[in-house]
Amino acid sequence: MAEYDLMPKLVGHLDRHMIFPLLEFATGQIPEDDDAKAREITKAKYELLKTTNMTDFVGNLKAELEDLDEVPAEFNDMRQKVLTRLSQFEEDTSKITDLLGREEVVNNLRSDKVANLEFLKKEHEVTIDMVNALYEFGNFQYSCGNYGAAAELLYQFRVLSTDNDKVAAATWGKLASEILITNWEGAVEELTKVKESIDSRLFNNPLAQLKSRSWLIHWALFPLFNDEGSRDTILDLFFSPPFINTIQTSCPWVLRYLAAAVITGRGRTRNSGQHQKQLKDIVRIVKQEAYEYSDPVTDFVRALYIDFDFEEAQRQLSLADELLRADFFLFSAADSFLDAARHLISESYCKIHSRIDIKDLSTRLGLDQDEGEKWIVNLIRDTRVDAKIDYKEGTVVMNHPPSSVYQQVIERTKGGFFRTQVLSAAVAR
Amino acid sequence: MSKFFAGGDSSSESSSDEEELYSEEEEEKPKGQAEDSSEEDSDEDDEDESEEDSDDEGAGKTGASRFLRGDSSDSEDSDEERVKTVKSAKDKRFGELEAIIKAIDNGRKINDWGSISSEFDKLNRQAPKIGEGKQIPKVYIKALVELEDFMNETIAKQKVTPKKMNATNARGLNAVKQKVKKITKDYQDQVDSFRKDEDAFMESEDEVPEPKVKKSKPTDLYLDETTAAEAANDEGFAAVGKGGKVLQFTPESILKHLRGILESRGKKNTDRLEQIKIMEKLLEVANTPTCPCGAGSTTSTMPLDQWKAAEKDLQSLFEILEKNKDHIVIEGAEEWEDDDKPPTVGEGEKYLKVPGSIVSYVERLDDELTRSLQAIDPHTSEYIERLSDEGNLYNTIFQGMLYYEHLQKDSTLQIPQDSVNRIVMRRLEHVYFKPATVVKILEENAWKNAPADAESAVTPAEGIIRARAMLCQIYFLALHDEYYKARDMMLMSHLQESINNFDVLTQILYNRTLVQVGLCAFRKGLVYDAQNTLQEICGSGRQKELLAQGVMIQRYSQVSPEQERLEKQRQLPFHMHINLELLECVYLTCSMLLEIPLLAQTGSSPDIKKRVISKTYRRMLEYHERQIFTGPPENTRDHVMQASRALAAGEWKKSITFVHSIKIWDLMPDTEGIKTMLSKQIQEEGLRTYLFTYAPFYDTLSVSTLATMFELEDRKVAAIISKMISHEELAAALDQVSATVIFRKGVELSRLQSLALTLSDKAAALIETNERTLEQRTQGTANAFDRRGQNQRGGHRGGRGGRGGGRGGGGNTGPRQAGGTQFTGGALGAAVRG
Repeated sequence: MAEYDLMPKLVGHLDRHMIFPLLEFATGQIPEDDDAKAREITKAKYELLKTTNMTDFVGNLKAELEDLDEVPAEFNDMRQKVLTRLSQFEEDTSKITDLLGREEVVNNLRSDKVANLEFLKKEHEVTIDMVNALYEFGNFQYSCGNYGAAAELLYQFRVLSTDNDKVAAATWGKLASEILITNWEGAVEELTKVKESIDSRLFNNPLAQLKSRSWLIHWALFPLFNDEGSRDTILDLFFSPPFINTIQTSCPWVLRYLAAAVITGRGRTRNSGQHQKQLKDIVRIVKQEAYEYSDPVTDFVRALYIDFDFEEAQRQLSLADELLRADFFLFSAADSFLDAARHLISESYCKIHSRIDIKDLSTRLGLDQDEGEKWIVNLIRDTRVDAKIDYKEGTVVMNHPPSSVYQQVIERTKGGFFRTQVLSAAVAR
Repeated sequence: MSKFFAGGDSSSESSSDEEELYSEEEEEKPKGQAEDSSEEDSDEDDEDESEEDSDDEGAGKTGASRFLRGDSSDSEDSDEERVKTVKSAKDKRFGELEAIIKAIDNGRKINDWGSISSEFDKLNRQAPKIGEGKQIPKVYIKALVELEDFMNETIAKQKVTPKKMNATNARGLNAVKQKVKKITKDYQDQVDSFRKDEDAFMESEDEVPEPKVKKSKPTDLYLDETTAAEAANDEGFAAVGKGGKVLQFTPESILKHLRGILESRGKKNTDRLEQIKIMEKLLEVANTPTCPCGAGSTTSTMPLDQWKAAEKDLQSLFEILEKNKDHIVIEGAEEWEDDDKPPTVGEGEKYLKVPGSIVSYVERLDDELTRSLQAIDPHTSEYIERLSDEGNLYNTIFQGMLYYEHLQKDSTLQIPQDSVNRIVMRRLEHVYFKPATVVKILEENAWKNAPADAESAVTPAEGIIRARAMLCQIYFLALHDEYYKARDMMLMSHLQESINNFDVLTQILYNRTLVQVGLCAFRKGLVYDAQNTLQEICGSGRQKELLAQGVMIQRYSQVSPEQERLEKQRQLPFHMHINLELLECVYLTCSMLLEIPLLAQTGSSPDIKKRVISKTYRRMLEYHERQIFTGPPENTRDHVMQASRALAAGEWKKSITFVHSIKIWDLMPDTEGIKTMLSKQIQEEGLRTYLFTYAPFYDTLSVSTLATMFELEDRKVAAIISKMISHEELAAALDQVSATVIFRKGVELSRLQSLALTLSDKAAALIETNERTLEQRTQGTANAFDRRGQNQRGGHRGGRGGRGGGRGGGGNTGPRQAGGTQFTGGALGAAVRG
């Protein structure tokens, strides 16, 4: 499975702090006795967080790496420094945070940022430097690992600042903070804000747009696989033309997550039509990108929907299952993926076949015969296919009614009346 | 190889280059009378040259004098008088003199220096008699100068050709050389004055053979000395170095000479060859490297040896520039005004700027090579010989590029980016169509010659150059089987949208690239993509024209000679051609693989809309089917057609045999691989065709029967059938238990049903037509139809509209838009644009 490990590709598009959970997960994956590997990952963690302000943690890592009993002295110094800076920042921002905490001040704030700043300046002697200090402080807090505080500070900064560049940066920062404190609702909110800012602010710079979008896509994976509620929004975002193009152009490996998300979304979306559409899109894109990226998940899609090779699909499915269980984002979705994928196989199988041997289908789905029968009954009930089980023969018989000619004629002539009306209206004008 | 050949060659060439020589008409008259064709050709070269370097001061001057006829007519009159007096008085002696000159002329023609030498002696004895010590006859001067020219020419030739002159000739030549040198010095004044009104003189005396007098004063003076030095060198008296006579060629006088040359450059009848010689000498003598700027004048329409000389000159120019980094050649630098002093580096300035444009020189050289390659029959060894010069040229271009990049590093110079772009482009255009191994060799050679400290950086470019560079890269990628990269780049470039706005050459390059991408897709086995990509070029039936590989002879077309000539000029040299027969073969094979199943499908169910993939292919197929007797296939087309028929009848094996027996596949790399790929495709398409054709006659078919019939695996057969069922191409279902295909009954429509369907189609078409009519009437101003876009109807509009670039632009290529949308990954490029 090592060749399908996306870690090296993902880390390039993630923030330091977000990579950490990935490394944690990797630690969990390695076998107990593989010390060298564990050490390697600890080293990676250390290198990763070295530049952050989480001195205690980094110090511990260092101690672990070098088998020291105590945290090396330099980390204590650094810790001191960080603490001084922290208090310094607190001092700098105390006034403004205090102000923003006061009911009557907040009530006076309006939606117009300039006016707000004007108001604060006049009434409470707030300077622009103080506002900017909020930003710095937020940045610092984030670096220390106090994501909640950072989110709060950046939020306050954003309310007041008129500096567009910094606001955009603050939005990214807030998104990161929300993700790291697993506040998914907030994260999705920020996600849309970042998306809008990319659309409007970088309008004239396609390359920067592309880059920002690929970052955003990677960040969005966190809420996508962790929060049921945000899934539809994010999938819609991913399937919007600019983002799907970004995936195709700069980060095709995201297709694994996209495909997995669509497949697992089978039973969950209320709107089955939309699911069908997404499935169709993903099939199309997987086909297009086959030359650039493939892994068991996309191969499964390919085998099932492009080559109609059910045996291959089955093989890929078992590979994909293994893969999913080793993937940070997907391991929790592995079971539902397997289930949904089985559904898709049998759905497609039933569509093409008119008589199926239950035993054969069961092995194809990796189930025993009784389970298989139950499975098929459920399937018939769920998908409302026109099928019956012939128990004596041990087969399922499908009935595929041909599409009616009359229906076709009706379809074709449906728009005619309306168009004629438009036509006559145009003539009359 | 005589000069006559060389001359004839280039004169025919230059006549095909009329548009460049817009002033050539002026030359028409002398040309007709001229005896010595090599001289004549150099005249033209000069004209050519004067244009090329029109930024030079000298050209400006001459241009003025040429057009200010008023001025010269005065001197003309007076001249005529004078000449007439001379004539009447010394008629007889004059006649003798002319006879001698004629003899010299004859001697020249056969290159017989022995006789020339003796005649020249006679001439020298005779001349003073006429002139009676005070006036030297014009004819004499003329002959003198003419001889001198020829002498120099011969010496020059002597250097180039390894063949040695025979002893008599050599002796004669030497004698003449010495004498000429002496005499010209004696009559220096006359020669000079003669030089001044030579034009007038010539025109007044039509009976005299076309005069060949050239060189302005300083040049002449210089020439004598050079000749001496040269002679010395040639004879092995190398001891006479710069020290002796040549001593006076200090940098000061060199400047003077140069100025003289520059000024005379644009004039009628200035001998280019000679000038080149002088320049070479100058280069040798120059101790400051200021002079090389003149070397640029060496590029022009030229026969082989001249081209080579020019190429060498350019090389040495680069060497000199490399050695003397404080001298730079730059466009638009100021001319050094003072001839007498050597130019020095000015206060506070880092460089000594020399006017000139290296990129123009290089481009010119390149163009010349292309032109001569166009003219040479590609099947001769001469072509290959000439082609070998490309390597040298490539090196030169490469050096030029390095030089520019070197200049660019100094921002104070403000070298326009444009020059670098142009030169990089030239370099690219020499390599893009070549396989990697060849390119590697070229590169190695180039770097070998490059100075060690040179570095090359990729430079960004704008507009048309960028487009061309991209196309070259795509072409190269496609040539090396990097289909996806090439395709993605093609899409990302968005060129298909804007290619119509580019010039014809770029459009041709675009077409070439498109074709190459198509061929690449075919090699990869992507039949559908290949067909789509090639459709536009091959479906038009104008491949030759679109790829600039030959002019189509069209029966009813009205092409003015002007257009035809332009088109001829655009033709690519043979070594760059894409094999058209191979192209056609690939295109037809792809079309077959797509069309035959489609035909079978539409044949069995009349309600499916008649979709045509390739009109060209259909037409050929129909023609083929109409024939009563079909003989064994002779050409590629026959093979594909017979293969098509076999495939349509389900005889896939026969089809494979036909396709495999096409000989041209041998030209593809990995022929066996291609054939295997084709066999596989034919098997699969054969199965599909079979199912489409015979499905109505079966109730069930066993999968294993089908598998044995088409020699495919059971699994593959099942997969193909599944695909067809899933795409609703086949009304059937698989029975897993008995491993059979069950064809659904009742799918065939009754007469009434199919008629109803047809009726509904017709109704839809009627509405469509109505809408279109109204749209035409209102010129599209009626916005009422905006809705239709949302309804996803009326998509046929506009699709065809693009065609109509027509013949006007010669190689214009018709609809581009279509080409772009055919790529399935159309969304790709949009990512960048958002």
